[in-house]
Amino acid sequence: MTGPVVESTGSWFSVQKVAGYGVAAIAAVFVLYPVYFLLEAAFDVGDPQIRPPTAYGVDNFSGLLHYPQIMLNTLTVSVAATVMALVFGFVMAWILTRTNVPGRRLCEQLMVVPYYLTPLLGALAWSMLGQPESGFINGIWRALGGQGHLIDINTAYGIAWVMALFEGSVAFVMIAALMKSMDPSLEEASQVIGASRFRTIMRITLPLVAPGVLGAAIFVFAEMLGSFAVALVLGLPSRYYVITTAIYQMIQQYPPKIQVAAAMGVSLFAVMFVMLYVYRRVVMSGSYVTITGKAFRPRVIDVGVLRYVLLGICLVYLFAAVVLPLVTLLYASLQKIAVIFPATENFTLDNFRMAMSMNAVRSALSNSLLLAFGTATIGVVLMGLLAWLIYRSRLPGSGLIEYIVMFPQAVPRLVFAFGLMWAWVIFPIPIYGTLWLLLIAYLTVFLPLGVRTIAGVMLQIDKSLEECAQMCGASWAFRVRTVTIPLLRPGLVAAWLLLFIASVRELGASILLMGPHSKVITPSIVESWFGTSSELTATLALIQTLVVAAAIAVLVAVTRRVSAHPID
Amino acid sequence: MAKIKNGNVTRRTLLKAGTIMTAVPLLGIAAPSVLAQAPTKSPTKILDFMTNADVAKAEQEGQLVFYCHENEAGTAGIMEGFRKDFPKISTSYVRAQTGALYNKILSERSAGRFDVDVIQLSDLAPAFDFQKKGGYEHYVSPESSAYKMDHLSAPSGYFFWTGVDPAGIAYNSEKVAAGDAPKGWKDILNPRWKGKISCKISASGLQFVQWYTLRKIYGDGFWKEFAKLQPHAFDSRVQLFDRLSKGDDMITAIGEYPAYILFKSKGAKVEFVAPPDGLVATPLVVGAVNKAPHPEAAKLFVDWAMSKRGQAWYQTNPNLYYGSVRTDAPPMPTGVKLSDFKLLYPNDWDEYASQSATFLKEWNGMLGL
Repeated sequence: MTGPVVESTGSWFSVQKVAGYGVAAIAAVFVLYPVYFLLEAAFDVGDPQIRPPTAYGVDNFSGLLHYPQIMLNTLTVSVAATVMALVFGFVMAWILTRTNVPGRRLCEQLMVVPYYLTPLLGALAWSMLGQPESGFINGIWRALGGQGHLIDINTAYGIAWVMALFEGSVAFVMIAALMKSMDPSLEEASQVIGASRFRTIMRITLPLVAPGVLGAAIFVFAEMLGSFAVALVLGLPSRYYVITTAIYQMIQQYPPKIQVAAAMGVSLFAVMFVMLYVYRRVVMSGSYVTITGKAFRPRVIDVGVLRYVLLGICLVYLFAAVVLPLVTLLYASLQKIAVIFPATENFTLDNFRMAMSMNAVRSALSNSLLLAFGTATIGVVLMGLLAWLIYRSRLPGSGLIEYIVMFPQAVPRLVFAFGLMWAWVIFPIPIYGTLWLLLIAYLTVFLPLGVRTIAGVMLQIDKSLEECAQMCGASWAFRVRTVTIPLLRPGLVAAWLLLFIASVRELGASILLMGPHSKVITPSIVESWFGTSSELTATLALIQTLVVAAAIAVLVAVTRRVSAHPID
Repeated sequence: MAKIKNGNVTRRTLLKAGTIMTAVPLLGIAAPSVLAQAPTKSPTKILDFMTNADVAKAEQEGQLVFYCHENEAGTAGIMEGFRKDFPKISTSYVRAQTGALYNKILSERSAGRFDVDVIQLSDLAPAFDFQKKGGYEHYVSPESSAYKMDHLSAPSGYFFWTGVDPAGIAYNSEKVAAGDAPKGWKDILNPRWKGKISCKISASGLQFVQWYTLRKIYGDGFWKEFAKLQPHAFDSRVQLFDRLSKGDDMITAIGEYPAYILFKSKGAKVEFVAPPDGLVATPLVVGAVNKAPHPEAAKLFVDWAMSKRGQAWYQTNPNLYYGSVRTDAPPMPTGVKLSDFKLLYPNDWDEYASQSATFLKEWNGMLGL
């Protein structure tokens, strides 16, 4: 066992320092290497088809001023979706982790379904439901004697609604992980001295989870800024463009405007840095420790008959985010042309026959599962160490690492993928076009997700627990294994699942980086939507959902077995 | 008003070939040294077509890597057709829209990566550019004799038209009575279609051709009037017909014939109108890539794709339905031949390519981008 003196951060060499700076170096290479190429493209004013650039300038940035409406649309949708996602996430997390609502375990498991259902599929389902003319809901409305349409999903708030349901469910996972780690005695104390439940939530619960919620808010807002599939499916019919759909048009056309797209992406760095600065100020200005050396037993609040009302809220949410989309996709998958009142001859099983016969889809699905497992497993270690480095280590330069780690979140993955492609295509080790490149890409673009999730829980753990172990002579590695990791377990499990699901549904980076032998599933489904039919796409989505659900069920069962035998 | 030729493209002069030959190759790609090469051996017959490829060697190479603009199902369909005839050659592909795909291959080649055997693009402009950059392998297929010179690169041997995607007007027959349906291109400007008409985004090569050709016929004002209708723009023909068949749009200004066949076969209530001035059409071009990792397989694929056999596959696969420009092409699944249609192409492909920036600016501007 290494003594505390050797381990002090002031010493020249320690395991802690080597691990910390080693992992920081890996993260920096993963992020900064492609960012360099992205910056190079943003300032490239020469021939877009010649690399390296022949001329540099700032024209690409000044060109952004030509898109005020797109910027406004992006802000409108992103803010609306973030607010909705946080409200949904907080309310649902509180109900399902802090109250005695019936069936909460099942509801909690169902809460992550929208996340792996993928935004594309959520958008597709809600497009089928809410198109003004052909939408199922509007069809029923007119059949019941209504005029015109009841809902229009192609509006800014329709887009935000779907984004909040399917992109924003990550907020629930992040906030729920925080609430699980919170000592309920603080809330109980509040109620004992006469505070109402609402007042307790507002004065105790909310402030305690504030840094985690703020972290989730920053993360979700960045997700919304970079959201692509929902805006593509629901925005295009109403000519409602946001930054990502505009970028998509720019890089698809010939000649592609990649430099302007890169400038658009790079300019989002500024927005992200401001948000990160605010986050750090909030986190540094107060104490949010709820896990201390004092033992606590996680308990739920008895809300009496109110629990049935809360259950109703949960069921309405799950109906909108899980049941309705899945039923809609199933209904569509059984038809030749999906309509609300189909003729008998319109029903078919051909979509399932075709989906099962597509070799490319089968291999893409297995590749996706393999990559997701690798990304989640390596990612939890890498990102856990990064979170510790940033928030716990007190090593010089840890603040800078946080900014670096957040880089990928600031740029839409459609654009970041170009940086990754340019970076790794010239890399001497031939990983370009292989699954290894996708693994590196996923580990890079999901750094903010993993670090933010783990950090939210880490901030709640009192440093004195580790310091106590250190004073008892425990080495850094022993402390991490016996104190930090067990306390972090809810956060680590949540991060693992989030990374797994995020990898399976990844779209923006994969589209460009897939090689001929490294296909993954979500881009294949998008391709199906572009090129075959919405009915076949619905079928593929259902198959993907079932396979991923089965994989997650197995993994969760394994996790529980591991949790049942905690580290001594 | 410029003359639009019906189904015929004015031949670019041989001077163009000279220009290409003298152009400094970019990206470190050597100028095709085989331009003057004659086949070293007589063509051989394989299945029912002729090839200069060494089939045994191609099978020994065992692989074909294909880059394609076509959608996933269509690209997989092309590979499936080739693999059925040559099961010893495994196939793999990357697909993306032409702009992104072309940028990807240029980036790879500038980094010294040569992983691609054959490329198919949906627009002639990048094909010309790739030829100028020395990206194509020069290979004159023995099947070239079944093609008019207009449908081959200049000089021949770099790429060929593997098919044509023609488009007219399509409408939802439940929403629009036959008598009210547009009859010609100018009828799509009727204000009654405002907010109920669709078109494609600027990434579409066919949309570029339509913009170019109809502008030549009807003048600049045509598309300004069209913009007032606030059309909805989408990536693919499937999306256009999906919306059309469900009544979300009443008509589409760029109803591709292959998509019409596909949706009609599914029972969709859609009808197709071939305007008297002609169907706008764009070629899909295929060529073997220089420094390909599997050069014999690449040649064999080009021969197969050019052959009557390959063309029949392209023409009858539901995810493709390309019209064949082979002089002896069989009819399409609907019983009509591509040559039965009056087709509108740009009469000067060089001038067409030079209009790319104007098109992008106008079209994106119209769509609010």
